[in-house]
Amino acid sequence: MNRNYIFLATLMILLAAGLLILPERHNYQQIKPEDLMWDIVQTQRYVTTDQVAQMIIEGDPTLELIDVRSAKEFESFSLTNTINIPLDSLMSPNYSDYLGIEDINVVFYSNDDIKADQAWVIAKRMGYNSLYVMDGGLNCWIKTIIKPIEPPETASLSEHDLYQFRKGASVYFTGAKIAAPDENNKASVKIVRRKKGAAVAGGC
Amino acid sequence: MGPLIPQGIITGQWDFVIALLIGAAFGFILEASGFSSSRNIVGVFYGYNFVVLRVFFTAMIVAMVGLLFFSYFGWIDLNLVFVLPTYVNAMLLGGFIMGLGFVIGGFCPGTSYTAVAIGKIDGMVFTVGTFIGVLIFSEAFPLFENFYTANNLGGITIGEMFSVTNEVVAFIFVLMAIVAFYVTWLIEKKVRKNMTEYKFE
Repeated sequence: MNRNYIFLATLMILLAAGLLILPERHNYQQIKPEDLMWDIVQTQRYVTTDQVAQMIIEGDPTLELIDVRSAKEFESFSLTNTINIPLDSLMSPNYSDYLGIEDINVVFYSNDDIKADQAWVIAKRMGYNSLYVMDGGLNCWIKTIIKPIEPPETASLSEHDLYQFRKGASVYFTGAKIAAPDENNKASVKIVRRKKGAAVAGGC
Repeated sequence: MGPLIPQGIITGQWDFVIALLIGAAFGFILEASGFSSSRNIVGVFYGYNFVVLRVFFTAMIVAMVGLLFFSYFGWIDLNLVFVLPTYVNAMLLGGFIMGLGFVIGGFCPGTSYTAVAIGKIDGMVFTVGTFIGVLIFSEAFPLFENFYTANNLGGITIGEMFSVTNEVVAFIFVLMAIVAFYVTWLIEKKVRKNMTEYKFE
C-alpha cells in the first residue's frame, strides 16, 4: 500500500477525532456595537400597554408575547397567550425556536421594563429582529388597562376615547361586568293629549 | 461569515457564477478521477473497481470534517445551510432506479457530461436519454405526485435522527470510509491477478 494513503487516512482520523475532543463553542451572530447603540436609543422599540391590549383583543397573529419573569411569577399572573422564557434561560437552545420567526413581532415584558429591556438587548445581540418591549411592563398594564383612571372632564376627547378603550379592555381581561341599565327603574312616560274641541289656547 | 448569499454578504445574482465555477471544478475532478469511463463506474457493481466508492467517500468525509471545522471557527453558520428534505419512499425508489441506470448506462448524470466533453458517443446517447427521461417525469408528475411527496421527514440530518452530535456522525463516517478503503483495496488486489484487462495506477 502506498505510504501517502496511510498518511492521509491517519490525518483524516486525527482531524475527525479532534472534532470530538474540541469543546462546544457557539458562534453567535452578533450585531455591530454601533448598530446596537443606535437601535437601543430608538423609541420605536417600545410598544404601549394599549397597543398590546388591542393586539391581544383583536387576536393579532403576528404578536408573540414573551414573559421574561421567573416561572413562579409567570404562574401566578400572566397575560393571554404568553410564552414564559425566564431571562436567565433566554440563550438556552430550548427556546431558540420561539425567536427569529419570520413576520412575527416579539414583545418582551416583565414586572417593570428593566428585565424586558435586558432580554431585548440579549436577543438583539443574538441577531434577532422584530423585537419590542412593553413600555412600563405589568405595573403599567395594571395601572392603565386593568384599573384605568377616569380623566377629568376637562380632558381632551382623545383622552376620553383612550379611557373608554381601556375600560373596555379591562372588561375583556378581567371579565368584570359593566353596570347594565336597570330595567325596573324605567321612568314611565306620560303622554298628555290635548282635548278635542278645547278652546284654542294661547294667542295674544 | 458564511454562507455568503443567505447572510447577504454577496447578492443572490452571484449564484449562477458560483455554480458555473463549481460545476467546472466538479467536471474536471470527475474526469481526472476517470469517471468519464463507464468501465470505472460500473466496476463497483461487478466488484473489480472501487474508484467511485473511494472518490465519493473521500469527498464526503473531507466536506463533513471541513464544514464542522469551519463551523467551529465561526466561518459558516450550519443552520443556514440548505438541507435537502428527505422523502423516504421517493428516495428509496429513486435510488433503485438511479442504480439501475448506473449499471445499464454506465454513467450517472454528472459523469455522462464529462464523457460528452471528451467526445464519447455513449455519453452523448446517455445525455439524450436523460433529457427524454426528465421530459417524461415532468409530464407524468401529477400521476405519482402523492407517492413523490409521501413520508416527508423534512430537512433532517443523520445526527438529528439518532440524536447524536454532528461531530460523532463525522467521526463514525471517517472510520467507515477508511475501513471501506482498506477492504476495497484488498478485494481489488485479489481480483486484479485474474484481470489483466484493467491496469490501474
